[in-house]
Amino acid sequence: MADLQINLAGIKSPNPFWLASAPPTNSGYQVQRAFEAGWGGAVWKTLGDPIINTTARFAAASFNGKKVAGFNNIELITDRPLEVNLKEIYETKKRFPNHAIIASLMVEPKQEKWHEIVKRVEDIGVDGLELNFGCPHGMAERGMGAASGQVPELVEKQTYWVKEVAKTPVIVKLTPNITDITVTAEAAVCGGADAVSMINTINSLMGVDLDSWNTVPHVAGKGAHGGYCGPAVKPIALNMVGECARNPLIDIPISGIGGISNWKDAAEFILMGATGVQVCTAAMHHGFSIVEDMIDGLNNYLDEKGIASVMDLVGKSVPKYSNWGDLDLNYKVVARINNDVCINCNKCHISCEDTSHQCIDMLKDATGKSYLKVREEDCVGCNLCSIVCPVDGAIDMVEIKQTLPSMTWNERQSRIASFMT
Amino acid sequence: MSEYETFMEEKNKIDSYFDKGYQVISIFENLSGTFVDFVTGEEAIEREVVQIQLLTAEARKYIATKLLFVS
Repeated sequence: MADLQINLAGIKSPNPFWLASAPPTNSGYQVQRAFEAGWGGAVWKTLGDPIINTTARFAAASFNGKKVAGFNNIELITDRPLEVNLKEIYETKKRFPNHAIIASLMVEPKQEKWHEIVKRVEDIGVDGLELNFGCPHGMAERGMGAASGQVPELVEKQTYWVKEVAKTPVIVKLTPNITDITVTAEAAVCGGADAVSMINTINSLMGVDLDSWNTVPHVAGKGAHGGYCGPAVKPIALNMVGECARNPLIDIPISGIGGISNWKDAAEFILMGATGVQVCTAAMHHGFSIVEDMIDGLNNYLDEKGIASVMDLVGKSVPKYSNWGDLDLNYKVVARINNDVCINCNKCHISCEDTSHQCIDMLKDATGKSYLKVREEDCVGCNLCSIVCPVDGAIDMVEIKQTLPSMTWNERQSRIASFMT
Repeated sequence: MSEYETFMEEKNKIDSYFDKGYQVISIFENLSGTFVDFVTGEEAIEREVVQIQLLTAEARKYIATKLLFVS
């Protein structure tokens, strides 16, 4: 059994699986049930001046029969008074002293507002704070959440104000609704953040009803943009984690969030630099018990790899994440069709012929039987055929032995620069 | 002609000029591709300059690889 305990900027938890600040962490009842199920930590639903929500708050994208490929919400922060939340945090921490409870906070960008809420929350006993600079809807219209998280100066200033009084580690939660998340991550570092978490939800409109022409969801015939999350956003989140992890100016731990649905997703985020992960949509879809498979899966994976502690996995893929200009232009893979497995559906031929490089031929053998063959010399190794192929093992992408030395775009440009007239 | 065949033609040209002792003196890149000027002969009066246009991406990689590691 591997050691799954993590230490994220001084916040310890029995495993790297935390519930993200969201509906699953709205109350002590829920968080205590989550801890009983096995979650290592919880980021309490964002505390601040209690809000009023609408009904009809969630919507989801289904794709080819898969429910909740993406999830959209227009729910705001907690609608309960601070005292009620603090009482439940206290009771929960008392019952589960070894689990991590992090209070998510959001107030107006004023020093005295931040000082007040930080002191009141820390007085009750939490393991850390997470500053919500990411919520894209509703609160952003009031100058909070993503509205302040999109302005690096405000991220730095507010983090600094919190650090003036905070006694526990401060995590800054970043919005993905920005061109370059490393800019706001660097601002958080400059403000004194102990860690960053990412991503919050992405601005989204789930759909439009073609009969009523209402947005989905709608509130009495009107809609507003929401925040998108769930499996569909994982690649976006993973890239943002990776970009921050490989940036030497962002030298603080990362809590990874965004579409994490199983242990494999979690392991990928950890490999890409996250010390731990936060989960919401998968728990909303399947319930708290999914953490059992996450724990078992990660444990087995670490054992198979001979890794004693999950902390030893953190960031192992970061050195492999680079700029395009540093990739080897002379590396070559080609598609190879395994005709024993291929069902001759021709999807690879169609995709290659119509939208790629026209290098898969439809041929007939001596008996008149159809088969597909890649002209490897014309194949650019784009992977498209293997992506669209419906049969596992029918198309392999095969490395071709390199006859030329490695050369990156940057090396090429540097070399030919001396010949430019 | 396939892209590969075009590349092979361009590669053969590059290789043949190098084999004959030509050296690259100038490279110019624009919307039409890469233009490589080869020169041979040591004396100014003997110098012959030939220009080839590289259309394929493979050839544009190949010429740089040759310059980086071979010549």
